[in-house]
Order: sequence, then structure tokens, then C-alpha cells
Amino acid sequence: MAAWWIRPGVRLLAALSLPVLVPGIITALIWALPGDPAEIICPPATCGGTAELAARWNLDAGPWSFYSEWVSSAFNGEFGRSWRVEQGLPVADLLWESTPVTVTLVLLALVPILLGAVGAATGLIPAKADGVFSAVGLVPALVFALLGSAMIVVRFGAGAFGDEAMTWRLLIGAAVLGISDGAFASAVSGVRGLFQSERNQRYVSIAILRGEAPLANMLPNVAPALVGQMRARVLHLLSGAVVVEVVLGLTGVGDLLWAGTLLQDFGVVLAAATAFATLSALLLVVQAIVEIVTAMHVLRAPTVPAAVVVA
Amino acid sequence: MMRRQLSGAVAALVLVALLGLALTAPAHLSDANRDLAFAGPGAVPPFGGDQLGRPLLQYAQQGASVVVGPAIGAAAFVALLSIAGGLLRCVGDQRVDAAIQALGEVLGALPRMVVILVAAMLIPSGSRGLLPLALLWALLAAPGAADEAAAVAERLGGARFVEALRAHGFSWSRVFLYHIVLLNLRPVVVRQASEVLLQVTFLELGLSYLAVQDNQSSFTHSDSLKSWADLLYMGYTSIGLGMPTGHALVLGLGLVAMVTLMAKMTTSMAKAR
Repeated sequence: MAAWWIRPGVRLLAALSLPVLVPGIITALIWALPGDPAEIICPPATCGGTAELAARWNLDAGPWSFYSEWVSSAFNGEFGRSWRVEQGLPVADLLWESTPVTVTLVLLALVPILLGAVGAATGLIPAKADGVFSAVGLVPALVFALLGSAMIVVRFGAGAFGDEAMTWRLLIGAAVLGISDGAFASAVSGVRGLFQSERNQRYVSIAILRGEAPLANMLPNVAPALVGQMRARVLHLLSGAVVVEVVLGLTGVGDLLWAGTLLQDFGVVLAAATAFATLSALLLVVQAIVEIVTAMHVLRAPTVPAAVVVA
Repeated sequence: MMRRQLSGAVAALVLVALLGLALTAPAHLSDANRDLAFAGPGAVPPFGGDQLGRPLLQYAQQGASVVVGPAIGAAAFVALLSIAGGLLRCVGDQRVDAAIQALGEVLGALPRMVVILVAAMLIPSGSRGLLPLALLWALLAAPGAADEAAAVAERLGGARFVEALRAHGFSWSRVFLYHIVLLNLRPVVVRQASEVLLQVTFLELGLSYLAVQDNQSSFTHSDSLKSWADLLYMGYTSIGLGMPTGHALVLGLGLVAMVTLMAKMTTSMAKAR
């Protein structure tokens, strides 16, 4: 218990560094590529005004100038402009338009995962079912997504991009994300494993003998690990969202990132990757806070001799 | 014991089949023969033909040549890092543990696909291939794998376990390589490696499928090669657009199932007694 602060401390440090580290690494790599960044967007042989473009987009003063300018603007909600996907448009606008789709998709995908976690913790989902979940989870998101996309095309035909079809795409995408690539199976088996090992602790046996509910006793102790597992699940969903969004034609941040990658739009990719890094940093902070609160709770608890004296 | 041997035999058989496909892959698809367009397995054995009458077998071979080497390389890489994680926990140094955790937090904090896409964009088009992306994926998977191996080492007793075995007169190499890695870390290391092998295969399928869908070059292979994703895309048109390419879907899904089976059987083979 002496070094309880190390884990949350490291997480907080990682959370603070991620949103500045990620754009820093990407900027360094952009400048490490062969050729000048401005010439990549606007090759002098085929496009006039490369120097003006470089000056306007702050690409002419080197990587540090670009990075520091970009980060300070990003703190004010300005993420620069798209280089190729929607040339000249503010990336913040593109992110603003696409974020709700990704957020809805991930939140809907979290529903089966949370239900699975609750079912595993309370014992409502029997351990026998793990084999079935595991087998279904072996199917990659791509396969389920393309089958879902085909279903939409067959069902809606020419109206496959209408409002109703888009709602179905979102629901199918969430189901695919929540089930495939082992998302649901891992959530169920992970939470079950956590509670099973905790159930073997002596304090749980004592709680049962005192007529208390074991779950309520275990929950504070497993909370940090539980939050850690859920953080991993959310990251897994965000990662899978890229494939699901593109295959199902959902215009979310994943789709934007894919478009930026294909077209080498550094402006879009820089902003999208930083947005993902910031979200991940927030999740790290939440986990660190839960760990700190749990540790404080344990530190405040009476020591065993004192408890024995009171008893 | 029998079950373990059976699993090992199945995994080895599938691996040999995949390696066979990869090693016999032609550099280019054969010439078009429009008379055999969309032909079934009867007319173009053993899997049928594409829209230009070219055998789908060549798609399977080329796809295997794209994916097998990098997937095995990534699996080996993550296995090594996982073993290193387990052994470092046996050293029992809190500062080393904190440093590993810090590295793991940063590496594991980003959605892997986002990192892969950024890397794919930054790799010059002349150097594109699956191997760098597969190794990067393995590196991103390594913190979790190392953490799990470290947990196993900790359950063994960590540094005290090593001390106890040394007191029995065993050499360092025997303690670390035989007692810790082979007898205790093996199930975790093999499972993590199998999972990464599977994930890299799916990553290739995902990246290539998205590129095919957008009619773009893939980040994972040259334009002269076809991926298994091309089979899946061709198969998708049989459901979505009613094209006569159902045989391509069956082959594509069959290949995915083969790799999945190999990974599961390998894990099952290495399970703890």
C-alpha cells in the first residue's frame, strides 16, 4: 500500500502528455518524410503558389513553429484547415459534424457490453455461455459489417442512404461493434474472472456470514480494475469504429480519419488523432481518479488491531 | 494429452496449407478469359473464377503471401515482448515495473486502428507493406501481453520463485528459460501470439477491404497483388447487388475461418495442464 500512488500517478502523467505528444510525433514524422510538407500538398511541378500556400498554412517556418502554433490554436478549438479531404475547410467543422455519429455509435455499442458486464457480475449470465460468446466473438468486425451493409442494400435498394436506412446502419454498426472481435465475450469473461477471484477473499466470506450482499462488498475493491477493463473496451470500440463506419457508410470521425489517411490529408489526420488522444486521456484520468478514491478509502479504513479492539 | 496433440496437429496442418498457398503464389494473376467470367468451381477448379475468368485460387495464394509472413512475424515479436515482461517482473524491481507501466500506458492508451492509419499515411508509397504495420500492431499489443505474463510471474512468486530455484542449484538459463518461460509463461505467451496473428490477419483484411471499396491502392501490398479482402468484396456484391459471386464469398470466409481455426488450435495446444 506504501506505493499506492505510483499507478494513478503514471496514468495522470500519461493523460497529461498524450494530447501534446501525439500531435508532436505526427508533426515530426510529417517533416521526416521525403520532400517539403507544402510540396506534398501542392507539388511545384503541377501546382503553382506552393510558397504562398506554405506561408498561409504555417508550413514555411519549420516543424517547431508549425507544432507550437497548431497546439496553441487547438487549445482554443481551432484545428487548422483540411489539406485535401475538404480543401480549405476548417477541420474543427468537419470534426464537429462527424463526432455525434461516432459518439452515438460507440455509446450504442457499449449497451450490450455493459449489460454483459452486469450479467457476469451478478451471475445472471452463466459461465456455460462463455463458449458461445467466444465463438461469436471470433468473427471479425469487417465480416459482420459487410454482411450488415449488404442487408441494408437488399432491404432499402435505392434508398440505402435515406434517413431510415441510416438509422439501421447505425444500429447494425453498434451491434457489430459490440459483439464482434470478442468485444462482448471479453467483457463478460473479464468481469466474471474479476469477481470470481475477488469472491475467494476472506472478507467476502465474512460478509456473507454477516448476512451482507457480497456484490456490494466487492464493488469498491474491484472498482479500479473494473474501470480499467471498461476503458480498454471503449478504446477497442473506438478502434473498431473506423472499419465499421467506412464499411457501413457512416460519416463519423473514423470515416473522416480514413478519408484523411487515403488522401494524405495531414491536417485532418493530425486533428482526428489528437481528438482520439484527448478522449483516451480523459478515460485515463477517470481511471486514475477511481484508483485514488479507492486508495483513500482503504487508507481511511481502521487497521486490523484497532478493529479487533472495537469488536 | 490427446486433445492437446490433436489441436497441435490441426494447427500445424492449417499452417502448412497457408504456407503452401503463400509459397506457390504467382507474381501476377493469369490473363483474362471472359468466357469463364464468374465461372463456378466446376468450370475453373477448385474455387471458380472472377469477373474476368481468372482463377480465385490465385487470389487465395496471393492473399496468403501478403498476410502469412507479417502475421507470423508480429506473433513472434509480441511473444518475445511478452516473455520479456514476465521475466522483468521476476527481477522484482519496482522502478522497472513503473517504467514498464508508463510505457504501456502511453502505447496502450490510443485506439490501435488510429495509430495504424497514421503510420500507414506516413509510410512512403514505395515502402508500403503489411510488415511494418503488423510489427507496429504487435508493439501496441505488447503492453497488455507483457502485463498478463508479468501477472503470471507474480503469481509464481516473482523474485522469490527465482531465488528458491537457484537455491536448488539450477542455472540461471534453466530457471528463466525452462521453469519460468516454458513451464509457466507458455500458455499466456502462445495465446497472446495467436491473438496477434489473428488480429494482423483481420487488420490486413480491414485495410485492404476499405481500399478496395474506395477503389484505391492498399496500404498493405502492391497493386499487382490481390488480398483475401478482394474475395470478400467480390462476395459482398453477390448479396448486395445480386452478382453471381457467391463462390468468392465462400472462399473468402473459408480462408478467414482457417486462420481463426489455426489460432484457436495453437492456443488450445499450449494450454496449461
